[in-house]
Amino acid sequence: MLNNRNRGRLSRFGRRFMQRRESCPCASGDCLSLTDLPSGEKAIITCNKHLLIIERGLYQGMTLTMHRNDSDEPNVIVAVGDARYVLDRRIAREIRVKIV
Amino acid sequence: MRAKPIIALVGNPNVGKTTLFNALTGARQTVGNWPGVTVEHKSGMCRFHDRQIEVIDLPGVYSLSSGSPDEQVARSYILNEKPDLIINIVDASNLERNLYLTVQLMELGAPLLMVLSMNDIAEANGLSIDIEHLASHLGFTALPLVMNKQMDLSVLTAAIEHSLTHPTNPQCIYYDEIVEKHLDNILRTTVEAGMYPLASRTESPTKVALAEEAYSALLQNRWMAVKLIEGDKEYSSKLNAEQKETVDKEILAISKHRGQEPGAVIADDRYGFIRGLVKDVVKRHRVGQWTFSDAVDKVVLSGFIGLPIFFGVMYLVFLVAVKASEPLISLISSSLTWLFVDKLGALLTLLSLPKWLNYLLSDALGGGVATIGAFIPPIFFIYVSLSILEDSGYMARAAFIADKFMRKIGLPGKAFIPLLVGFGCTVPAIMATRTLESPRDRVFASILTPFISCGAKLPVYTFLGILFFPKHADLVIFGLYMFGIVMGMLTGLMLKKTLFKSEPGNFVMELPPYHMPTLNAIMLHTWHRLKDFVLRAGKTILLVIMIINVLQVVSLPVGKDHQRVPLLKLGGKALTPLLAPMGIESSNWQASVALISGLFAKEAIVGTMQSLYQKGEAAENDKSNTPVYARNIKTSFGSSASAIAFLVFVLLYSPCAAALTMLFKEHGLKWMLFDFAYLTALAWMVSTLIYQTLAFNSGSIYWILSCVGFFALIFVNLRNIGRKHVEQS
Repeated sequence: MLNNRNRGRLSRFGRRFMQRRESCPCASGDCLSLTDLPSGEKAIITCNKHLLIIERGLYQGMTLTMHRNDSDEPNVIVAVGDARYVLDRRIAREIRVKIV
Repeated sequence: MRAKPIIALVGNPNVGKTTLFNALTGARQTVGNWPGVTVEHKSGMCRFHDRQIEVIDLPGVYSLSSGSPDEQVARSYILNEKPDLIINIVDASNLERNLYLTVQLMELGAPLLMVLSMNDIAEANGLSIDIEHLASHLGFTALPLVMNKQMDLSVLTAAIEHSLTHPTNPQCIYYDEIVEKHLDNILRTTVEAGMYPLASRTESPTKVALAEEAYSALLQNRWMAVKLIEGDKEYSSKLNAEQKETVDKEILAISKHRGQEPGAVIADDRYGFIRGLVKDVVKRHRVGQWTFSDAVDKVVLSGFIGLPIFFGVMYLVFLVAVKASEPLISLISSSLTWLFVDKLGALLTLLSLPKWLNYLLSDALGGGVATIGAFIPPIFFIYVSLSILEDSGYMARAAFIADKFMRKIGLPGKAFIPLLVGFGCTVPAIMATRTLESPRDRVFASILTPFISCGAKLPVYTFLGILFFPKHADLVIFGLYMFGIVMGMLTGLMLKKTLFKSEPGNFVMELPPYHMPTLNAIMLHTWHRLKDFVLRAGKTILLVIMIINVLQVVSLPVGKDHQRVPLLKLGGKALTPLLAPMGIESSNWQASVALISGLFAKEAIVGTMQSLYQKGEAAENDKSNTPVYARNIKTSFGSSASAIAFLVFVLLYSPCAAALTMLFKEHGLKWMLFDFAYLTALAWMVSTLIYQTLAFNSGSIYWILSCVGFFALIFVNLRNIGRKHVEQS
């Protein structure tokens, strides 16, 4: 059986072989999708590919606080710095964060 | 510098650009506490020390990447018009995010001046900014400004004068070494391609001016290379195939080096610069970021009471509009009637003017003025309520609450804001759809805006509501507003399943902090809208009343006995059979004419009815204090069922000429015709269904089945069109 380190190496080789870009600089299990971040939790953004959202201040390394995340609602509310954003769940799902 | 310099106001949405524009130019543009108040650029003049300066208010943008149409307006103005000075208005309470646009403007090499607004909120949030230090890092002047009614503009005007005469070049932003290397290569390729003509702004170039200009041109060239890395379509299209290949190679190298999309690399590095800058110049006195707005949002956006609060607020708006205006309507109406109809009529009789001229001036025009006067109270109160909602910051929260329903009808929650603006007027509501990123959402939202009863429909509801349902007028009016919303939702559901099958665009919106609305701002906001309404409606109503009076006088011989019948009566009678299924009898031709006049402006319906129902059977029989036209209307409609059907028709049928023109301007002839035809057909079907259900008789089944069949036909046709569209795309 492969350990985590070698599994990572193999997947990086596969990615390079298939000429795909690296998805996220975050080991599996360390990060979670922004939609999975419970209300009130603080997290650091580890991966965000939406330029529009990055330009709003949700860039890699920025700390955010989840203000509201009800699974039956189509949006989440996050606090980023001094701004409060309503984010579509479809976008939030693609943003990876790490709880701090 | 131009002989008449141009200053552009640029900043993120909702930072106070329009407030500053109004202060500088003395204009009275609408301001509000929600992103998207300004959707097109506005220009005004101001004078500093005998020098005329043109000030341009641009829509709020987060960056210079062209997204929605309002962002494109701002970007193309900055890039193409090249203003002599850009005043970058920055929200001090949210400096980091606001500096992203500043950094892009710096990269552009534009002459800049920074104004920090919302300093009071920043202080309340425990932030203090070393502005001099910030300015030294940026390379241009930065100054704080308290944007209230006692705004001190002397420091700002001095800074503008200085910046115009001594333009400074901002600092250059550097990326990481590898990115810089590739950026340099792209720059070289594009310079060889001759993409950057050097435009001279100086009339008499000196050595210093030339050097500054060369530096500015270099910055602009660099900025264009950065935009190529970001994948800007406008600049990419200027490259030929060979150059494009070279540039693409460089961009791929950047992407490989950082393991990110090239656009994200640039954005990340810009934020890297901003973070360092903010750490250096901003001191946080409070570690916690929990603000007053967060505490209010905890309640207002709560899953349990958020929705009841939302409906409560909406009901309160209409309750205030109806209840508070009720006593004022009769007071204003009777005063204006006394002055412009009775007294003016008496004066003209004394002057021995011809009878027709006396009638035209006192009864027709004077009556028209009294009608417009009666509209003012309900519209004033609804505008006040909307202004409070907008200025307080609740508008964006309402969009969040409404998002759940909006998704169900195939629109993002942000589309709720144009719909809410529609309570004031449909024209700005259609314009406000420009804030939506997806073209599909913009067309879809524009089609639904007429379902929201605009301020002009309120006088019709109030007039007929009080006449037919004096004890429950407020409930009837609120019911009509709600019915419009329900019909809009049903139409949305249908269009989602037929014409607009694709998914709605993503919903990303900033929640602005709550502000306490000031009386001055509310009154200014209300006055601005009310003045527009009175002028626009006044002109249309008076014109419609004049035309109607002329058409009432001009007659044609009809029938075997060649009895002369007024042209208006003939036209009305020709149309009335179409309205018979919704309870408009053939003798009630005045109602048909009123509906036609409503196509010019909805407010004209009341004026037309008051004018046309002056003569009739009830006039001689009833001796009560009720006005003659009111008694005639009651007699002509016969029952409350036909009055309700008529009100529903007014609510749903084609929007006014101004709104149709705006639809044509924004989305083209096809969508304008669709909206006109669909809404008029829907209004007829729904009004017929309501009347035939309320006044059920043996023939009702036939009409109900006809309506259902007609609707099914529309649905099937729209579904086929939608299917063809999907296949084609």
